[in-house]
Amino acid sequence: MPDIAELTTHLLNGVVLGLLYAIIALGFMLILGTMEVINFSHGVLFALGGYLALALQPHVGWWAALVLAPLGVGAVGLVLELGVRRTYGRDPLFGLLFTFGAALALEEIIRIVWGPRGYTISVPDFVSGPFHLGFLFYSKYRVLVAVLAVLLLALVWWFLEKTPYGAVVKAGAHDGEMVRALGINLTRMRSLVFALGTAMAGLAGVIAAPMWSLKPTIGAEAVMPAFIVVVIGGIGSFGGAVLGGLMLGLASGLSNLIVPRGSILVMYVLMTVVLLLRPRGLMGQKSMLEL
Amino acid sequence: MLGVFALFLVLPALLPWIGGYTYLGTEVMIWAIFALGYNLLLGYTGLPAFGHGAFFGMAGYFLAVSQKWWTGGLWLPLLIGVLGTALCGAFVALFVARRRGIYFSLLTIAFGVMFWFLVFVLDTWTGGEDGLTGLLRPAIAVPGLGAVALRDNLPFYYFVYGFFVLSTVLLWRIVHSPFGQVIGAIKQSETRARAVGYDTTLYKGAVFTLSCAFAGLAGGLYSLARFGAFAEPMSLQQSGNVVLMCLIGGGFASFYGPILGVAVFLALRDFFSTVTDHWMLLYGLLFMAIILFLPEGILGLVQRVRRPADFHDTGTAEAARAAETTAHRSKP
Repeated sequence: MPDIAELTTHLLNGVVLGLLYAIIALGFMLILGTMEVINFSHGVLFALGGYLALALQPHVGWWAALVLAPLGVGAVGLVLELGVRRTYGRDPLFGLLFTFGAALALEEIIRIVWGPRGYTISVPDFVSGPFHLGFLFYSKYRVLVAVLAVLLLALVWWFLEKTPYGAVVKAGAHDGEMVRALGINLTRMRSLVFALGTAMAGLAGVIAAPMWSLKPTIGAEAVMPAFIVVVIGGIGSFGGAVLGGLMLGLASGLSNLIVPRGSILVMYVLMTVVLLLRPRGLMGQKSMLEL
Repeated sequence: MLGVFALFLVLPALLPWIGGYTYLGTEVMIWAIFALGYNLLLGYTGLPAFGHGAFFGMAGYFLAVSQKWWTGGLWLPLLIGVLGTALCGAFVALFVARRRGIYFSLLTIAFGVMFWFLVFVLDTWTGGEDGLTGLLRPAIAVPGLGAVALRDNLPFYYFVYGFFVLSTVLLWRIVHSPFGQVIGAIKQSETRARAVGYDTTLYKGAVFTLSCAFAGLAGGLYSLARFGAFAEPMSLQQSGNVVLMCLIGGGFASFYGPILGVAVFLALRDFFSTVTDHWMLLYGLLFMAIILFLPEGILGLVQRVRRPADFHDTGTAEAARAAETTAHRSKP
């Protein structure tokens, strides 16, 4: 039987991981919900965020890189959207394949620029080392990750639910034609949503990089949890993404304790069970995507 | 169809002339079986599955495991490969058959990756990263020729050729059967097909399972071709490849689209990898370019050039007819 300190550590790791998954999945879902495009390049943009931060940090410091790297990724997203734009309203496979090709190309570009080797990123000085909480030690950096993730999730929630822009985005996801008819520039709105979604992937990449070592294939490892979170939580639900992310994070954190080798498989078992019980995901509603 | 068969019959003699080799021809036929079966889903039922590589790859493991530790021989493992893959396909179909469009894609991706991870979790059976090597291609008895050793490339080419002909004829029959008519109806409008009284979920599940069975046949042959089962055909990238093969050739436009697509794709792959180490970059750009500029594929383009506003293309045809009517009315 594992002792209480070990159990708590794994639980906390699970929560931190879950919050990261939620951010990745939310960016993915924004694009999926608004444009009906499965953005396969989401994972590689996550990786790009990490690599950009790696390049920027020595020059501008940690906090500035935290802001600049996601902006850079968002800019790449804007460029990508110019191509993705042509697949809107067509077979979903076209958007999927386009971003799939983009993912392959971007991954190779990362490999050309930074080489195939992995990088370990050191955490910033002010959060290096652990907290001492009486019975256990916990990494300060992971606490910072959790705080940043919660802040970002709150910000996105506020943007979607409390601002007029959020209302336009949600309306655009529901009925794009009607939004256009109301005189709103749908094309610009879609570009911005795409940039926002990819920037969120980039940000997740920046803060995850010190925890997972950075390598060109990390994108594929990051995008799959996002898929599963969306399937578990239900498409188009903010709460579903957060709930699904936390469930997935906790499940893989706890299974790491019991069956370390099966921790990835546990995610899929969870997905299968949820799909059996609730085919639309935990908080999913009947949406246009099913048509 | 006979033309295609005749071409592949004499291909081993022609390949050296155009810078190819027999194995390339074998590979083209194997992938063609896979792509033709996949096109049953994509082109004919309109279901954008995106995890089919998993079924292609798992057949190799079924075959290898049964040949190594259970039945031995050649025919029985191949059959087990096909049936096992079809069974896994039926399992996935339980979850995905009610879905369509983008949600269908999302689920097939997730299940595809699940099988991929399963290979690494079950590494005592599958060999994990190293794969299961040391498959045998025992000699088979051919009437009139006696025992033919399949170890060499040329006899194996004709072994695969047999399956290629058989699969193509079978798929042609399926597509042009009443069953094929129903899945075509589902592609046009699932709601309408259901309203007419067809159990669309059942049909979609059946198509999915069928296409998995063909993926299983192709995957089994592929593992024989490489003397081993490996995880790499199960990766998402290979799943993407088969979709692209269907699209390049024009799987939406023609039954033979996937065959042409496979040939073009594999030739390009060989060409890219000789040109540069960073062929992945070219390859990704190719994906993007095809989606942007040639989404209907080569045969689709040929059709469009030869017969503008084909009757399949109802949108353009209707627009043309509407323009005609207006021109008629406004005359005097």
